[in-house]
Amino acid sequence: MKKTSIYLATAMVSMALAGLAHADDKAAQALVKKGGCNTCHSVDKKKVGPSYKEVSAKYKGNAEAAAKLTTHLTTGPKVMVDGKEEAHDVLKGSAADVKTVVDWILSR
Amino acid sequence: MADVKLPSRFSKRSRTAQIAIIVVGTLLLGTVLLSAGAAGLAWTNTEEFCIGCHTMKDTVYAEYKDTIHDKNRSGVRAVCTDCHVPREPLPMLKAKIMATSDVYHQILGTIDTPEKFEAKRHEMATVVWKRMKKNDSLECRNCHVQAAMDPEVQSERAQAQHAKAKAENMTCIDCHYGIAHTEPEGPGPQELKL
Repeated sequence: MKKTSIYLATAMVSMALAGLAHADDKAAQALVKKGGCNTCHSVDKKKVGPSYKEVSAKYKGNAEAAAKLTTHLTTGPKVMVDGKEEAHDVLKGSAADVKTVVDWILSR
Repeated sequence: MADVKLPSRFSKRSRTAQIAIIVVGTLLLGTVLLSAGAAGLAWTNTEEFCIGCHTMKDTVYAEYKDTIHDKNRSGVRAVCTDCHVPREPLPMLKAKIMATSDVYHQILGTIDTPEKFEAKRHEMATVVWKRMKKNDSLECRNCHVQAAMDPEVQSERAQAQHAKAKAENMTCIDCHYGIAHTEPEGPGPQELKL
C-alpha cells in the first residue's frame, strides 16, 4: 500500500513536471518566433546561423553555458555571416523571457 | 363535351411563355446556386471555419497567434487561407479538395490529438513546403511582391541574403519556415527533393 502511494506520487510529480516543461517549450518557441530568431536559425537544420541543436552541443558540459548564451542574445555581439562580420540581433523581452529561450536552446 | 380549340395565336403565346419561364427559372436557379456556392466557398476561407475543429485551434492556430503574421505594428494580418489557399479559382478549388484529406484524417483519428498531430507534423509540413517550392512560394508572394521591396529599408543582412537567394534560385520558403508554426525536426525545405 505504502509502495503504491509512493509510485502514484512519483508518477503525479513526473506528469506535473512534464506539463511544466511542455508549457516552457511552447513559451520559448513563441518567443523565438516573435523575436525573429527563426529567420536565421532552425531547430536542427542549417540556415544562415547555426541550428539550436548545434548551439546546445557547443555549450554541452560548459558550466557557464547559460550565462554566455544570455550575454550573446542580449548584447548584440559581432558574428560572422557568410564571411562578413555583423552584429547579432538583440533578443527583446524580460529577463524571464530570455531565460526561457536560453534554457530551451540549451535543452535541444 | 366537345374540345375547345384555342386560337393558334394563343397556343404560340403559351409556348413562348413556357420557354420564357424555363429560361428565367434556370437563370434564377443558376444565380442562386452560384451565389450559394460562392458564399460557401468564401465561408471556408474564414479564420473561424479553419479553427472550427479543436485540432487546428489547439495546435497550428495557437502557434500562429502573436507571430508577426497575426499581430504587428500596422495591423495587417495574414490569416490561414492567405498562406495555405491560392487565390486563383482553379488552384483554390484544388487546395480545397486536398484539404478534405485533413478532415478525413481528423475523422479517422489520425491527427485528432496533439500527440498524434505532432507525430504527423513533419509529414504535413513537407506537403506544404513542397507545394510552396513548386509554386515559387506563391502564397508569400501574393502579399510580398519582390519588385516592390525597397532594399534601402531592409537590413544589410536581409539585402545580402535576398541577393544570395536570388542568385542561387531559392524561394521564400527555403529560409522563411518555422515563422508561423512550430518547426518540425527532420529535413527542411532546402533538403526536399521535388
